[in-house]
Amino acid sequence: MPQLTPVRPQRRRGNISRPVVAIVASLAMLAILVVLLFQGPPQPGTTPATTNNTKEGQEPLVVYCAASNKSVLEAIRAEYEKAYGTPLQMQFGASQTLLASLTVSKSGDLYLPADDSYLAMAKEKQLVADEFPLATMQAVVAVPKGNPKKIEKLADLLRDDVRLAQANPDAAAIGKLTRQTLTKSGQWDQLHARTTVYKTTVNEVANDVKVGAVDAGIVYDAVLHDYQTLEAVAIPELAAAKANVAVAVLTTSKRPRQSLHLARYLSAKDKGLVKYREFGFQPAAGDAWNEQPEITLYAGSMLRPAIEKTITEFEQREGVRVTRVYNGCGILVAQMKAGEVPDAYFACDSEFMKQVQPLFRNPLNVSQNELVILVHKGNPLGIASLKDLAKPNIRVGIGHEKQCAMGWLTQRTFDETGFKSELMKNVVVQTPTGDMLVNQMRSGSLDAAVAYISNAAGAGDALDAIRIQGIPCSVATQPFAVAKDSAHQQLVQRLLAAIRAESSHRRFTSEGFQWLAEGPPAHE
Amino acid sequence: MSDQPAAPAAHRAGSDVPFYVVMGGLGGSYVVLIVLLLAADLAFTSPGHFAAALAKPEIQYAIRLTLVSCTISALLSIWVATPLGYLLSRFQFRGRWLIDTIIDIPIVLPPLVIGLSLLILFHLPVAGTNLETFLQEHVSIGRRPFRVTYAQPAVVLAQFAVACAFAVQTMRVTFDQIDPRAEQVALTLGCRRSQAFLQVALPQAWRGMIAATTVAWARSLGEFGPILVFAGATRMKTEVLSTTVFLELSVGQLEAAVAVSLLMVIAAMTVLGIVRLLGARAAT
Repeated sequence: MPQLTPVRPQRRRGNISRPVVAIVASLAMLAILVVLLFQGPPQPGTTPATTNNTKEGQEPLVVYCAASNKSVLEAIRAEYEKAYGTPLQMQFGASQTLLASLTVSKSGDLYLPADDSYLAMAKEKQLVADEFPLATMQAVVAVPKGNPKKIEKLADLLRDDVRLAQANPDAAAIGKLTRQTLTKSGQWDQLHARTTVYKTTVNEVANDVKVGAVDAGIVYDAVLHDYQTLEAVAIPELAAAKANVAVAVLTTSKRPRQSLHLARYLSAKDKGLVKYREFGFQPAAGDAWNEQPEITLYAGSMLRPAIEKTITEFEQREGVRVTRVYNGCGILVAQMKAGEVPDAYFACDSEFMKQVQPLFRNPLNVSQNELVILVHKGNPLGIASLKDLAKPNIRVGIGHEKQCAMGWLTQRTFDETGFKSELMKNVVVQTPTGDMLVNQMRSGSLDAAVAYISNAAGAGDALDAIRIQGIPCSVATQPFAVAKDSAHQQLVQRLLAAIRAESSHRRFTSEGFQWLAEGPPAHE
Repeated sequence: MSDQPAAPAAHRAGSDVPFYVVMGGLGGSYVVLIVLLLAADLAFTSPGHFAAALAKPEIQYAIRLTLVSCTISALLSIWVATPLGYLLSRFQFRGRWLIDTIIDIPIVLPPLVIGLSLLILFHLPVAGTNLETFLQEHVSIGRRPFRVTYAQPAVVLAQFAVACAFAVQTMRVTFDQIDPRAEQVALTLGCRRSQAFLQVALPQAWRGMIAATTVAWARSLGEFGPILVFAGATRMKTEVLSTTVFLELSVGQLEAAVAVSLLMVIAAMTVLGIVRLLGARAAT
């Protein structure tokens, strides 16, 4: 036993060294590797080719982009970074994976899924602030170059010697689209029975055709741009199967202005859409590119208090300019008839839209307003109806019949009363806008005025409003329409979307308007 | 007469050939399969695609990030797996079965779920903030806030979350196979637990540790689902080779995808070869 003692310390020392050395070495290695890990590229999210042009320290815009749009987006991104120095950080992946990521992380600026069915899902989750159409894709049959199996119509896909791949109708949009289209024509069951394999994405289908695992696959035409050995066969049965590609600015974006700038660039017909065409897509009808586009809006004066703030916010958010021309609608109509056509017209009444309808697309009714009798606070003259305005020695102000919708409407309302001539005897002034009537009431030069209830909204401390009973035409409807010739169709549509938004709705309501523009903003 | 002694010899010689044929045939079929797969890949791509892939700065960055992140997650895995494997192997305690089961979860769960769970974990609102925001506000590297989600640490974390489970399994089996008697003897001779572990158990577990590191590294290299969800596939930032393959596949660049896959094979063979060599030398 005692002879062991001198031996032990030596052996122990020998044994200690190896684990200790290993531990120290592995820790040192970890430290070095962690340093290496953070020594990424000089600028996050930029390729070396564009690093010099991006602004120092600028946070990149984060774009969630479907893998299917990767090639075209990389091409556009290079140009965009070079031109504007805003670095872009692209997150590529499958559309549904990206959607899941951004739903959870609540971050990111833009979302560009493979087709707009994913945007619909993102909208349901309140993630989409603005939407920009980019392109359409057509469902076609992918076959090897030369079409060795001579596939020309749906019946050819049902032949015994043709192996067919499709994308899963429940997982991929192209599958869903094919099923919808062919179910309508009653041909789906046959094709389903003859489908050799279902894949989860459209690219997997194309890959199968490329490696020769199947003879044909149903894909989007744009997908085939990247496949040199394949060709597209447009079969008549699938002619109706089209999908849209659109990019969304996300509600999570902390820099909506830059995001919108990029989205406008992507969707500009002379910028991003050029690339989309090059990469095999059918580009959408985009606006022309403009660094800071300017649009003109003609609007009835009565609408100014309800829309002014919304438009200012829109300008700041989008980085655009909206030139507003507020005036009586008759004057605006006259200007338009003289050839001065704005990008959009927000009329005070449908009647004034009808007169210039050929210049505009389908108008959308946004709000309603009601004619009332304005009297001084406390109603010292005891006016209760239009009849009382016909009493002697009452100074009445109304809108000008030709210059504004309110005046026109007032005349129609007076017609209904049956004592128009008595009423008109008391009319001492006809103004082009309701605001002027309110000012004249306040200055004491009028005893009563017939104006919109919204005109009185800001003057509640000095004036009372008396409802006109029993005359239905005393109500005006305000439609908004986009000019057919506007060079900024998409931008004006977004302005309309802003006017239809919830915050704008509240402003209309507080100004005394009734809201008609229910439902989600339509884009087409 | 000569029957008796000759028979067993002839019998023995005749029976060994079928043995080698059957064993070699069964085992070899798998090797042949792998070789055929690689050969098919090689035939599908061309040196041109290979060179084109290697020349891209994004791919070069992806190679570097892959090697660095895999090695970090392998080292972290072995640091965690060795003590955990040892504890589970040597000690009986309440709730051990529960820990056993928990460790298996990353192995049985679909990898995408791990990524999603990490994403949720870092963005779960707790007391008006979340882990990601908290880290960004309170930790910084240089002058930049410390980001995990969609940044390089997310790559490592996603790899580690899965790879470590495999390392733990390996270490546990390693310690199970080492006779605890040597450690008990060391304890009776006056060693502390830590000494018994460091001086007796660990040197014997050396081969297992090399194996566990290798498994964790290889697992990290192939990891892709959780990275895609938790780290994204941002070029020059969080794109690793496995996500490159996915991205190339999803735009129909099969040749490029195969070229990158072969790059991964080469990287893996080189690194694993070096580790095995080092391990073998250290073990002798």
